[in-house]
Amino acid sequence: MLDYILIQAANGLVIGVLFALIATGLTIIFSILKIVNFAHGEIYMMGGYFGYYVITLLGVPPFPAVLVAMAITFLFSVGLERGLLTPLYSPRIERKADYGILITFGLSVFLRNIAIILFGPFPLRPPSFIEGDLIIGGLIISYDRLVAAGGGILLLGALIYFLNRTVWGQALNAVSQSRESASIVGINSERMYMLAFGLGGALAGGAGALIAPIYSLSPSMGLVPDTQAFVIVILGGLGSVSGTIIAALLLGLSENLFIALLPDPSRGPSYANAFGLFIMMLVLLVRPTGIFGRQHVAME
Amino acid sequence: MRRLDIALGLVLAILAAAFPFLVNAYWLHVMIIGMMSAIMAASWALLAGYAGQFSFGHMAFVAIGGYTAALLATDAGLPLPLGMLAGVIASAVFGGIIGWTCLRMSGPYLAIFTMAFSEVLRIVIVTEVEVTGGAGGITVPQLFHAQTDFPYYYLILALLIVSVGGMMLVVASRWGLFFRAIRENEQAAAAAGVKVTRFRIIAFAIASSLAGLAGAFYAPYIGILTPDVASQDQMGLVVAMAIVGGMESLPGAVAGAIAVEFLVEALRSYGQWRLVLFGALLLFTMRFARNGLITPGWLRLRGLVGLGAARLAREAAD
Repeated sequence: MLDYILIQAANGLVIGVLFALIATGLTIIFSILKIVNFAHGEIYMMGGYFGYYVITLLGVPPFPAVLVAMAITFLFSVGLERGLLTPLYSPRIERKADYGILITFGLSVFLRNIAIILFGPFPLRPPSFIEGDLIIGGLIISYDRLVAAGGGILLLGALIYFLNRTVWGQALNAVSQSRESASIVGINSERMYMLAFGLGGALAGGAGALIAPIYSLSPSMGLVPDTQAFVIVILGGLGSVSGTIIAALLLGLSENLFIALLPDPSRGPSYANAFGLFIMMLVLLVRPTGIFGRQHVAME
Repeated sequence: MRRLDIALGLVLAILAAAFPFLVNAYWLHVMIIGMMSAIMAASWALLAGYAGQFSFGHMAFVAIGGYTAALLATDAGLPLPLGMLAGVIASAVFGGIIGWTCLRMSGPYLAIFTMAFSEVLRIVIVTEVEVTGGAGGITVPQLFHAQTDFPYYYLILALLIVSVGGMMLVVASRWGLFFRAIRENEQAAAAAGVKVTRFRIIAFAIASSLAGLAGAFYAPYIGILTPDVASQDQMGLVVAMAIVGGMESLPGAVAGAIAVEFLVEALRSYGQWRLVLFGALLLFTMRFARNGLITPGWLRLRGLVGLGAARLAREAAD
């Protein structure tokens, strides 16, 4: 029993790191564009498929394939932003938040269903990064999970470096604090919107490519992470990257422990998702800015 | 112009009354589903388009209405019409409660909260197999013992007219003004004396009770109720119907729902492409025609006909 709990905890941390990648993408998009991207889970799904086809069709080895998938997802997201989201920046549109909700919701329906046609309804599984399991005493964990967690941590580190130490990152932060002031000091905010949406998409896509060998790819795989990412982002506070990472680890851990500890094992897996959603509803009720929320990134 | 509307209304009424005699059983079924979807789309349009409350949990209330009716009729042995009534009341109560719980939220927060509520409800229905029959669904007794769907058609027609007519009365009254004031600016509405709390809850309760009504009709009509009614793809279809019709027009939402439902059936042989098409239609409408496709199209058509009539009258006078 103790071993089982240990394994679940380890799995929870791995999933938590991947949740963190997806959710930081969502929070970056939110803090710059001021919209909640309801299609984020579907972009994560597309990233997984991009990775799969880069490996199987182009013959790229699995490790660089993650980076290639991220690059493709970046371009894909920028294309979506240019095609669908530009009305958000025009002064002619009223009720921009509503527009953002509906257009990304429509996009999620569209992507989920076109994926069924393009990639087929059946689960696909790319080759493993490294075959086999790591066994330390009672703790068994597959190398794929370790690779996914390691890759996720590297990407998160790179992201934090990018956001805090580079000119682009600081420009993004400036736009998130005040669009007007940012344009006064010469930051091209349109370019920042493109960068933020592309970056957010690339992070989700990277998570999709990393997770693919663990769980298989399927067109509906974005539905659950989509809601999970909302849970995390709201727990961590919309707009806060470090809060998001902490919340992601907490959620991954608590969900897997919840499965392990629920007295009725047949219901565990299916209530695990409801558990996260329930926590999110509670947080929304009690503290709508989240636990680590930044005040200035409230909705307009 | 007014005379034109009345004439068109009359033609529509005659067409609606005679419809079952004009088509075969298959298209009658499509029309019944279309009219049921019209209640869902119009009530969502009332909530989202008029009151500005973007709920993605509308299908949860369809499920509450349907499952309450089904469970009361099967497990509790209540007569089906009573069960359906209970379903509507249950949806109204739950809708009011959800409206009350998310009073502090707006915009995307509300959308996420209601989406989460809907997903939690769907997961509970799927998991609690002993009560709800799980993903396999629950068998519901028939409402009418007739050879054809005629009674269902006239029932849903009556329900559609009563519910949409009722909503149009609400929208035309002071309440409709309050809803729109809340949508535009909650603080300003409150400052102007609108009881924001009360009317947000009322908007939720009205819209949810009608969603529950659609669900309570759906369960005995189809005969089997599955948790899929509360899925996000179904929600997407209802949103597409309301948006294509024009979110700030209740007749537009009704027309949008029926048009989309007929398109769905006409495209049945294209299988999976249908939902892609509706996703694309939703994106296109939002991106390029935010007032919907049907309402502006209808206004333009009416303008042309009016213009033509005026020219004819002038020529006759000359």
